[in-house]
Amino acid sequence: MRRILLCLAFTLVLLSMWMALTLGRIEGPSANPDSVVRNILYAHVPSAICALLCFAVLLVASIGYLWTSKPKWDRLAAASAEVGAIFATILNATGMIFSRAEWGPWWTPSARLITSAILWFLYIVYLILRTASLPGSQHRRAQICAVFGIIAFLDAPMVYISARLIPDIHRPNFSFGSSWQRVTFVLGMVATLLLGAVLIWLRTEILKNKARLEKE
Amino acid sequence: MTAINKDKEKDSADNAAVSVDSVSKAFAARLVLDNISLGVAQGQSVCVCGVNGAGKSTLLRIIAGLMQPDAGSVRLCGHNIRTNPEKAKPQLGVISHKSMVYPDLTVFENLSFFANLYGVKDSAARVDELLEDVGLSSYRYDRATILSRGLLQRLAIARALVHRPIVLLADEPFTGLDAEACQHLISVLANFTDNGGTTVMTTHDINIGMKCCDRVVVLDRTRLIFDAMMCDIDTISFTQDYLSYARNKN
Amino acid sequence: MKYFWLSFKAIFVKDIVTELRAKQVLPTMIVLGMLIVWILRIASEAATKVAPESPPLIGAAALWIALLFSGLLAQEKSFATEHQQDCIYGLLLAPVDAATIYLAKLLVNVVMLCIFELIIVPVVIVFFQLIVPDRWFTLIAVLMLGNIGISAVGTLFSAIVQLRGSLLSIVVLVILMPMMIPATSALMMLFAPSHSALVPVSSFASAIKYMIAFDAVFVTACWLLFGFAIKE
Repeated sequence: MRRILLCLAFTLVLLSMWMALTLGRIEGPSANPDSVVRNILYAHVPSAICALLCFAVLLVASIGYLWTSKPKWDRLAAASAEVGAIFATILNATGMIFSRAEWGPWWTPSARLITSAILWFLYIVYLILRTASLPGSQHRRAQICAVFGIIAFLDAPMVYISARLIPDIHRPNFSFGSSWQRVTFVLGMVATLLLGAVLIWLRTEILKNKARLEKE
Repeated sequence: MTAINKDKEKDSADNAAVSVDSVSKAFAARLVLDNISLGVAQGQSVCVCGVNGAGKSTLLRIIAGLMQPDAGSVRLCGHNIRTNPEKAKPQLGVISHKSMVYPDLTVFENLSFFANLYGVKDSAARVDELLEDVGLSSYRYDRATILSRGLLQRLAIARALVHRPIVLLADEPFTGLDAEACQHLISVLANFTDNGGTTVMTTHDINIGMKCCDRVVVLDRTRLIFDAMMCDIDTISFTQDYLSYARNKN
Repeated sequence: MKYFWLSFKAIFVKDIVTELRAKQVLPTMIVLGMLIVWILRIASEAATKVAPESPPLIGAAALWIALLFSGLLAQEKSFATEHQQDCIYGLLLAPVDAATIYLAKLLVNVVMLCIFELIIVPVVIVFFQLIVPDRWFTLIAVLMLGNIGISAVGTLFSAIVQLRGSLLSIVVLVILMPMMIPATSALMMLFAPSHSALVPVSSFASAIKYMIAFDAVFVTACWLLFGFAIKE
């Protein structure tokens, strides 16, 4: 079952990438119409949604752990943090590439860029907390990570609101040109979400097996 | 240990000062306490013995409400320490080998602080009374840092008793004390019991344990393997049995 | 509930007396703060030559940076004393709510930051050649909102004894990052009202509203989660 879903996810991702470059291809800027760089949006937007969803999963898992102290919630939190961090990295990287190609600078302090950057930081600090050799038991470490996870989740919307207070010079203005582009976008979204969910699931399974091995 | 009497005191749960019901605790994959039940009647003093790592401190922490058991419950004078801490905690005083006093505050300030935490009325009068009892009146305005280990232990005792608890828990209280300080602690514990207080003490020194308490309980890894009143056992043979058991364990 | 006021006051007074008596935290905070301000002043010297209007803008940022780092120092120390001699267990054994301990410690940290500000704000005004704002009451309000935010998050995480030094710093700083944008803007507008156009957030009212919202959200959240921070 796992293998099927994983293959399906990867196939969909590859398919959407192919479609992005062919049928749903977005034209480059008028100065350089053959540039493929704008197609990076197909990766950028789904990564953003996925990173945010992983954060929501992290919140639920953190609350679950504090409520029940059951290790499965802790494993879910670890898995979603790792997957979320990957998507946050992709989000920032694709954003910077797009920004460079479209407007010149690699990074500008606009609302979305600041939010993506701090989202990335929040994930990274969470992962550092996870892997740091904290004194105390496993339970204590899981508890600390859960507390940070909840506070970090509350921080994310605060980041967005505070960044929105700054007048945004570069507000990406995008609308779909053709229906193929719409299809490609939806496909890309579905593929990314599926990939994210499968990766979290797989990672949770690995952690569960690791815990079982350590018990024996 | 061979052929030991297992005489469990059956107290009705409501009358017991300390009631430990089927408490279990595991750390990571290791079981430390397995379905431990212990009832301590009012006015009893129990010594929990065992080798290092037997789980004595864990049990005491669970009784004090500092640690949550995986299963089971603890009640102090009928009040569950987890669900009803406002009623249960004021009944309890704890002495440990760490003094739990603030080094930068004076003796008087330390005791006043704890008196206020427990809502003791007329805290100043109560603190003065306690300082008399433990013999620290002359150190009233001295900072806790300058006190010697023995005097610090007296301050810790005063801290534990400031709110007039009914139950006293002592976790390895004799560690690092000289003969005079030991004697003082023994007399304090005796006094406490004489006034109707209940004591649960852990120690790995069986001799002191037997001196202070009227009931001995031995905790071995996850279970209570021995439980008897002092008056029912022969001190010498018990000590020999216990020491050989301890030697085998190590 | 019956224990609340007495224990709240007791913990607050105990902490203040301990801090003042030990005489370790305040002097270190002040020196650290001044060094940070000094370093930023020197580092920004080139900028002030190019853009003569930049000192107040950089000064506002310098002040918050000094507050953040010195605040972290104070918060870490306030719990370090609890862990000497296992004093934290003395608190946990008492019938005191974890929430009461949080509020008391929060107030202590806010007060420490206020005392620190009494010294550092004049230093910043002098070093960065800032004009003293006429609306000094507003200045105090902005600084207080910042103090509460910094202390709210710092108190929660410094109670976790396993988080020390740089680990504590990264955890607290990453959470406090969003507050820095409106906070710095608000101070910039106070110190340099003529250059409001250069400030990132141009509406003073929205910056203040944001800080109030941030404080409300995080004081509540940290208050609720504090029980998990001090107990195991």
